[in-house]
Amino acid sequence: MTVSFILNGEDVSANVRSVDRLSDILRDVFGLVGLRSDCRCGRCGRCFVFLDGRLVPSCIVPAFSARGREIITIEGFAQTEEYRDIAEGFKAAGVETCGFCEAPKILALADLLERSSRPSPREILAQISAVPCRCTDPDAIVRAAQAVIERRAKRIYRRAGQ
Amino acid sequence: MLYVATIRSPSARGSIRSLRFPTLPAGYRSILPADIPGRNRIVSFGAEVPILAQDRVSYVGEPVALIAGPDPALLEELAAATKVVCDEEEPYLNWESFSSDQVAAKRVAVVGDPDLAFSIASSVQEEVYTSGAIEHYYSEPQGAAAAYDYDKIAVWCATQWPYHVRDSVALALGCRAEEVSVRPTRLGVHLDGKLWYPSLLACHASIASIACGRPAKVLLTREEDFRFTPKRVRSSVSVRAALGKGGELSALDVRIAINVGAYGPLAEEILSQAVIACTGAYACPNLRVEGYAVLTNTPPGGAFGGLGASHTLFAMEAHANRLAMAGGEDPADWKARNVLRKGSRLLTGEILKEEVPYDAIIAHLAAASDYRRKYAGYELVRKRRSGRADGPLRGIGLAFAYQGAGPFLSGDASNSYTVEATLDKDLRLRIFTSAAGGAGGVMDIWRGSAAAILGVGLESVSIAPPETDQVPDSGPSTLSRNVSVVNRLVERACEAIQKRRFREPLPLTARAAYRVPKPIKWEGGQVSGSPFDTAAWAGAVLELELDPWTLEPRPLGVWLCVDGGHVVAPERAAAALRSGVADALGACINERFDPSGGGAGISDYFRYGLLPLHELPPIGIEFVEPERRAPVKGIGELPFDTVPAAFLSALSQAADAAFSSLPVPTARLIGALGAP
Repeated sequence: MTVSFILNGEDVSANVRSVDRLSDILRDVFGLVGLRSDCRCGRCGRCFVFLDGRLVPSCIVPAFSARGREIITIEGFAQTEEYRDIAEGFKAAGVETCGFCEAPKILALADLLERSSRPSPREILAQISAVPCRCTDPDAIVRAAQAVIERRAKRIYRRAGQ
Repeated sequence: MLYVATIRSPSARGSIRSLRFPTLPAGYRSILPADIPGRNRIVSFGAEVPILAQDRVSYVGEPVALIAGPDPALLEELAAATKVVCDEEEPYLNWESFSSDQVAAKRVAVVGDPDLAFSIASSVQEEVYTSGAIEHYYSEPQGAAAAYDYDKIAVWCATQWPYHVRDSVALALGCRAEEVSVRPTRLGVHLDGKLWYPSLLACHASIASIACGRPAKVLLTREEDFRFTPKRVRSSVSVRAALGKGGELSALDVRIAINVGAYGPLAEEILSQAVIACTGAYACPNLRVEGYAVLTNTPPGGAFGGLGASHTLFAMEAHANRLAMAGGEDPADWKARNVLRKGSRLLTGEILKEEVPYDAIIAHLAAASDYRRKYAGYELVRKRRSGRADGPLRGIGLAFAYQGAGPFLSGDASNSYTVEATLDKDLRLRIFTSAAGGAGGVMDIWRGSAAAILGVGLESVSIAPPETDQVPDSGPSTLSRNVSVVNRLVERACEAIQKRRFREPLPLTARAAYRVPKPIKWEGGQVSGSPFDTAAWAGAVLELELDPWTLEPRPLGVWLCVDGGHVVAPERAAAALRSGVADALGACINERFDPSGGGAGISDYFRYGLLPLHELPPIGIEFVEPERRAPVKGIGELPFDTVPAAFLSALSQAADAAFSSLPVPTARLIGALGAP
């Protein structure tokens, strides 16, 4: 079947089978390799995407269910100011990741900041735990999130003042 | 690109009666042991592992055949429809008591006269400590890809040991090693889980690629990876300790059994490291140690954050705490009297030449954690408590251990590693080592060392990609070896360039090779040689409380103090240690699965998980600055060498019960404290 949806701001369509996972279609058909499909059961968080604004593990989303919906992957999110805030915050706090979990951690943090403008350290760590990885330094992640919150607030106030 | 699915054994032990594939569509083909052009074996530290099981199987999930084809979804269906029928035999699953034909390796060492020391001891304490399997939970599942590249076969995989992959693939394909080019891909956090297993998958991919004439890729799912690849070996360490009249450790009798799973790759090395570390950080004049690596019909066991020392360090440290508490003494004081000092004789007969910074480390820890006051207070509460509702269920534990780095200890393992460096005409330095490809922090240490010696900017130093046809063999890149051994080789190569730099024209190239000063020798109940080139030391204090209703242990704080020699980047080192402490806490609290039935089941996979970050306590990391200029030392294994023993002691104090393995099931805590 042909499924049409909005992918990173563009109208796209793909031929999918009923057994296809959204993560596989995004990687194999659209070449979006910023997400990975490691566990294939929604546990590892490596395949996070925004589906109509909600953070979901795309490996447990049937590809056909994307019909008519909007998907943002890390490649699309990387074009936003929110992404730049988080990337800069990670850099400022000295967050060093293994490379495999960085994209989903960025998406997870963006999702949290969308829902809560000033999350507590516990909320930050609980959210990042959705991307379990042995490389995570909890202190650095909290520092990074706090740096992101500051940057974000400054940007929003600056824009409001213009 | 073709994908490769693995057909696995359904039985833990037996002979293969039949293997029936479904009708394979055009473009798909099966691959059997007969399709392997070379030897159907990979060799790891003397042990041999079949690439595809032929006739007999030795664990559930052992690869018996492959199917290659273009569509991974269809391959999954074809693999599921393939029937492997085995004539099952009773599997060997018991390893704490075992038969002689299960012994993959044995190590015995006797020092002094332990029988005499036990006969005159003022007290003797005995306990058996066990360590369970732990999943590496590395950043990326295991996988490999292979393709022809003109006159070579190129192999891509995330590996800690590129030359092992190269030699294994060459052996499997029956070609020369130079005809295989291994191009390692990015290696995430591996905790030593990618030492030899990537070689097996590389062989699968290469054989499929040769058989089908197309590039081929094997990529395990997380579930396959969890259930069928090596996990931390399980161990049982029986420690019997004799104390003299002054409470000094006068003798030890240690028996170690390590379940190395099927085939026992790394068995010799893991056992050797465990045996040599069996006295922990303590001096003991009389010792008998007997260690066995035991084969069972479970997936092959492997290294985990080190190659085996953490098992005996945990046991000895937990036992030291028990000895002190039994004598009514603060463990910190007992350890101060018995800890190794400069001039102490090690198990191998070597004299310890460096100061052991026990006093400095304990002073830092006591100040940071208020250890001494808390220990005394919790002891008082423990002794006066009449039931679980009577006072807080709190405990605090202390552990002290070391991380040695240097040669392999199994005696027959190759210890020849080389690093090369080239200073170009434009004063750019390139470092060539097959150990590159791991954590960026380690490579920054190499770059920093090189830049300091040659007086060039950090930006002028680059590390060449660790492709086997470009870089020399630097051995397996384990956590500790990269920082200590490889860094030292980088320094030596740069020093050699620096000596010639103003006498010879650029470019200049120099090589440095690792030579073991005194190789370990195991002969007739004696072990000799140098067990490590450098040792980093650490102490950990852990405070916890038990939830009064659920009895769940809740860590309140962890403090780790490390003497890691010259610490190049303290913030990055602290971040790595904090992650290590988090992992060690996970192993103490909730990372558990029981492969004793023959392997991990699918339910184990779904139950297993890392400790959520928001459940972590504050983690304090401190470094003790050495007085004199010290070398860079490996410190990555120290959290696993110290935190579990501190946790066990704290838990034992909180519950007023003696435990000997982690995690402690809630039922045992209820047994100790009574139901709510």
